Amino acid sequence: MSDPKRTVIGFVCERSLPVERMLDEHKTLLDDPDTKFVVVPCSGMVKPTLLEAALANGADATFVCGCAIGDCHYRTGNLMIRERLEGKRNPKLRKTTDRRKVGMFFVTMKDRVAFLEALAAFKAGLDAPPAQED
Amino acid sequence: MYRKFLRLTKSLTVSFEKLVNFVTTQEHNPLYFHGALPLYTFWFLIFSGILLWMYYIPTLDRAWSSVNYISALPTPGDPINLAAGIPYGAVVRGIHRWGAAAMMIVTLLHMFRVYFTDRHRAWRWLPWVTGVGLLVFVLFVGLSGYLLVWDARAYYIVVATQHLFDGVPVIGAALSSFLVGGEGITDYTLTRFLFFHVGGAVAIFFLVWMHFIRLKEPVVTPSRATNFLLLGFILLAAGTLPAINITHELLAKYGHDPRIAAQAAYIASDAPAQIGTLVETIRYDAWYMFPYWLIQNVGTTWTWLILGGSTLLLCVAPFYPKDRRANIAEVVEAKCTGCTFCSLDCPFEAITMVDRAPGSKFKQIAVVQAARCSECGICVGACPFQAIELPELHSKTLEADLLALVKKGA
Ligand code: HEM
Ligand code: SF4
Ligand code: SF4
Repeated sequence: MSDPKRTVIGFVCERSLPVERMLDEHKTLLDDPDTKFVVVPCSGMVKPTLLEAALANGADATFVCGCAIGDCHYRTGNLMIRERLEGKRNPKLRKTTDRRKVGMFFVTMKDRVAFLEALAAFKAGLDAPPAQED
Repeated sequence: MYRKFLRLTKSLTVSFEKLVNFVTTQEHNPLYFHGALPLYTFWFLIFSGILLWMYYIPTLDRAWSSVNYISALPTPGDPINLAAGIPYGAVVRGIHRWGAAAMMIVTLLHMFRVYFTDRHRAWRWLPWVTGVGLLVFVLFVGLSGYLLVWDARAYYIVVATQHLFDGVPVIGAALSSFLVGGEGITDYTLTRFLFFHVGGAVAIFFLVWMHFIRLKEPVVTPSRATNFLLLGFILLAAGTLPAINITHELLAKYGHDPRIAAQAAYIASDAPAQIGTLVETIRYDAWYMFPYWLIQNVGTTWTWLILGGSTLLLCVAPFYPKDRRANIAEVVEAKCTGCTFCSLDCPFEAITMVDRAPGSKFKQIAVVQAARCSECGICVGACPFQAIELPELHSKTLEADLLALVKKGA
């Protein structure tokens, strides 16, 4: 593929993807060396400021990956981070943050392939023109 | 070993649910509403139960016929039921009856789902133990419902239960007479059964409240698609198989009448109870009558041991295996502004806001109750001031990890 080299940082709930089987010792995704994971106990632990920090420090994109909606091991963590990133719950993602660069995935521990596909689509979307805000 | 077993059950459950996700999407997967399903089903039972209650007469000689009056299919000129019965009464009774089966099914589904996905241990002991109580009460209410029909089977259940109680040392005889409300079976017995049935349902509400005490915003309504699905199932069952008291005797007598023969499949209850005459074979309802199957097949002692032993095992299940718990959230007193965000978002009600000493800069401070904390870090995500932290995964560490990874990528 002729994709440019990028740095994508994901905050991944250890109960959603089988992270230990997907990463090398540098926390880099085996199937996609552009992508690196910070592993958290629950996607609900991720503050929007962490995503903003990733972008501010040079990441080309960042995302959160949590359990399937309806199946958070801690009941509500994935709903919380989704609402925070959508700006419906405090603390919210800053309005000025480029939404195209912030991804959200909600998958079960058996959805490794589906996740990789969604990640590829997310990365492809980074080249799209900015969405018209109204 | 046991841990491995739990991991395996979780893996199988998730795989199965993933398949369902293909069809329903995550947002509508009925299995993700496992806790809401029993509650939703319970509403059907409450409303249909109230309708039945309006016509039920709790006396020895009228109970059976009042139930039959409710549920007789309105067939004018019927030689057996001169009264036409309550319009759609059989369907309402069907909703109550098949809804009761659904209740047990979805409650067990919920229980196994929670257990198989390892959501029953440690800080979740309270919902689990009250859940065991709910299971026992669902069984109790279901069984007392079968008594109200006061058919031959109901009488059999009373006799078998008295037999079971008689085996209890010291208080056996007292239990036995408590069951029927005196030395023998009288009209008071049925009044008492009605009390057991309705009172048990009220107790379920109380237990549900306790069940929810430590769960922030429990999911109590299934997705709309799931609602319609379950509604459809119950109505379909109630509509195609209305519950009515066509008995074997009535069938033998009037079976040549095509209208009666057409209802042979609907047998829901037996002939009226006759005190002193026990039926030889009883039709077991798989969901509620297994204790009586046990009594008949393994005897009362084993029945006590099996029922008591499995309840006890269920009650201790949340305490094994024990996990190392070292990552319980901690509040940094100097940074906490008392904004309440963490306590609003904690999924297990582990954070309470406590008043600070008068004259402090901030009015309140967050306090974590360690035994309720799941070590999830959701409070860390909620706190705008970095005032609450998981000791083994400090926000600073998280940020340092993040910066290291960005640097490596660049
Ligand atoms: C009348 C029967 C029952 C009703 C109405 C009911 C309802 C519920 C609801 C609505 C939830 C919240 C789900 C959520 O929002 O995450 C829940 C959670 C729970 N239930 Fe039940 N339940 C019943 C029976 C049981 C039984 C029989 C057990 C097990 C013995 C049980 C164990 C649990 C546990 C451990 C949780 C916590 C799950 C978690 O924290 O994710 N429940 N229940
Ligand atoms: S880590 Fe925080 S949010 Fe999670 S249970 Fe403990 S106190 Fe509640
Ligand atoms: S969110 Fe932070 S500042 Fe607010 S009450 Fe909780 S710990 Fe204190």
